Amino acid sequence: MDALWWNLDYVAAVILFCIGLYTVVARNNLIKKLLGLNIMETAVFAFIVTTGSVDGGAAPLVGADALPPFASPVPHAMVLTGIVVAVSVTALALSLIVAVYRDHRTLEADELREID
Amino acid sequence: MRHWLPAVVMFPLVAAALTPFLALSRAHVARAWALLVVALTSVGAVFLTSRLVIEGPFSYAMGDWSRPYGIELRFDGFSAAILFVCLIHLLVGVYSSHYAARVISATRLPWYYTLLLLNFGGMIGFAVTGDLFNLFIFMELVSVSSYALVAIGGGRVAPLAAFRYLLAGASSSVLILFCIGVIYALTGSLNMADVSLRLGETQAPAPIALALGGLAAGFMVKAALFPLHAWLPDAHASAPSPISAVLSGVVVKLGILGLLRVYQVFHDAGGAQVAALNEVLVWLGAASILAGAFFALFQDEIKLILAYSTISNIGYIVLGLGLASQQSITGATIHVLNHALIKATLFLAAGALIHQTGCRTLHELRGAGHAMPFTSFALAVGLLAVIGVPPLAGFPGKWYVALGALSAGRPAFAMLVVLSAVLVSAYSARILNALYFQPPSHERILATHEAPTSMLLPVLILAALCLVAGVLARFPAALVGPAVARLIAPAAG
Repeated sequence: MDALWWNLDYVAAVILFCIGLYTVVARNNLIKKLLGLNIMETAVFAFIVTTGSVDGGAAPLVGADALPPFASPVPHAMVLTGIVVAVSVTALALSLIVAVYRDHRTLEADELREID
Repeated sequence: MRHWLPAVVMFPLVAAALTPFLALSRAHVARAWALLVVALTSVGAVFLTSRLVIEGPFSYAMGDWSRPYGIELRFDGFSAAILFVCLIHLLVGVYSSHYAARVISATRLPWYYTLLLLNFGGMIGFAVTGDLFNLFIFMELVSVSSYALVAIGGGRVAPLAAFRYLLAGASSSVLILFCIGVIYALTGSLNMADVSLRLGETQAPAPIALALGGLAAGFMVKAALFPLHAWLPDAHASAPSPISAVLSGVVVKLGILGLLRVYQVFHDAGGAQVAALNEVLVWLGAASILAGAFFALFQDEIKLILAYSTISNIGYIVLGLGLASQQSITGATIHVLNHALIKATLFLAAGALIHQTGCRTLHELRGAGHAMPFTSFALAVGLLAVIGVPPLAGFPGKWYVALGALSAGRPAFAMLVVLSAVLVSAYSARILNALYFQPPSHERILATHEAPTSMLLPVLILAALCLVAGVLARFPAALVGPAVARLIAPAAG
């Protein structure tokens, strides 16, 4: 139990991830499914950013007053790249949703299943 | 000369980014440009593979930043699969020149070639990168361009199929990114070779099991293994036919290549967890073989049959990986390559049939074998190869997997590989029966002509390759042999 308490941030990220996954699987509306996907992405980004934190760490900038310990900059670079990927996936998904709605006039997954 | 490796990765991606500027209003320029880029990249791929044969695996540090700080590109036996990626994309490019102009609206045509080049470049990058986060980026390049390509033809089913594909694909990508984050938190490194060493020294079985299981599950979705396959049939069947060939032949194999990389990374760490994963892969692979072939029996649309057949063939490959002997993994990698040839043949030939006749179901396509003799012959060769008739392309992979099952002491799975050929023959026979031995049910079939040369030529070249690839299987086997041997060697220390 102690280990869980000390890694509360990781636990929160995993719970958030599961909420997102549940939304993707269980929700009927395509836009809500997409929101679930975004929640999963946010959970992963939050998790990766927290792995870079160092107790009392400063921003790793070069300069005369730069003193260790430094926070790890790599997770931030990863998350920035990941956000770019997530935005493009979301944009594509929204445009597909528009195309689906134009063709079928509904966004409910069960009604769409009856059509094809 | 040592800059060839990054050049082969960067060139198609830069070329893809330039395509809209060069050819937004001139579709024929986009087509010629795409073919030129793929052809030049193929020359580079041949050069890289010959270097692999001469001097073994080699690396390139991007920007001269060495391990573990920089991004490393690494060309090993598995990376040589880019030769097949180049071949399929080249033939698909030729095939598209007539087909895409008819099926895809003129305003979307330049974007079609842009996305195809992005997909191509991403796949090459995925195969040669030695960095975990870079692996994720290239995977997303391939995936996002695939989602868009499924929908690009339009139609009633395609956007919805693309959206379902996107949900499954993006969820698995997020899971994979999460596990890469776990690995980074455990080891403080993203370089695969470096991570592999550091994981071996880490004493944290639970996070290692979490990362291994998550990565494997993510790549299983990408590979459409049986219980996680639901997104595949609609996406592959409703995409334009050349895209179906790329998706089934190449993009699905991204999951398999990913699994191989996961094995390489976790080689030194967690022998027990890897053994458990192998067991899961064996059973899911076996289930996938049977389920894919079984569902294929009940489809009437020819491309849906082929899509389910892909699930079945992925089963053979994953079964081979899970059995984890030298022969079975060699068989799996041979089947990755040969199945790319077979499925490209089948989808391009089926696409030609559908394009010329305007019919998609077996019932409507009856008798088309006599109207389009060459295309149907290529389709027949592909179907015989997918059954695994001895000298053809499907045989050596399954043979090695069956031998591997015997040498791993699990004869039941060898029996399964042999007996499942009956199911595969059943759905193949349905297609052949409809094409050759049934009277036409549709008057349009009688007036149908053979496909134009630009579509027929790639199909016939692929069919010829299906005929000879079975005999030539020892060359890829020799190429991946050392990489497979390293994979199953007991952990150092």
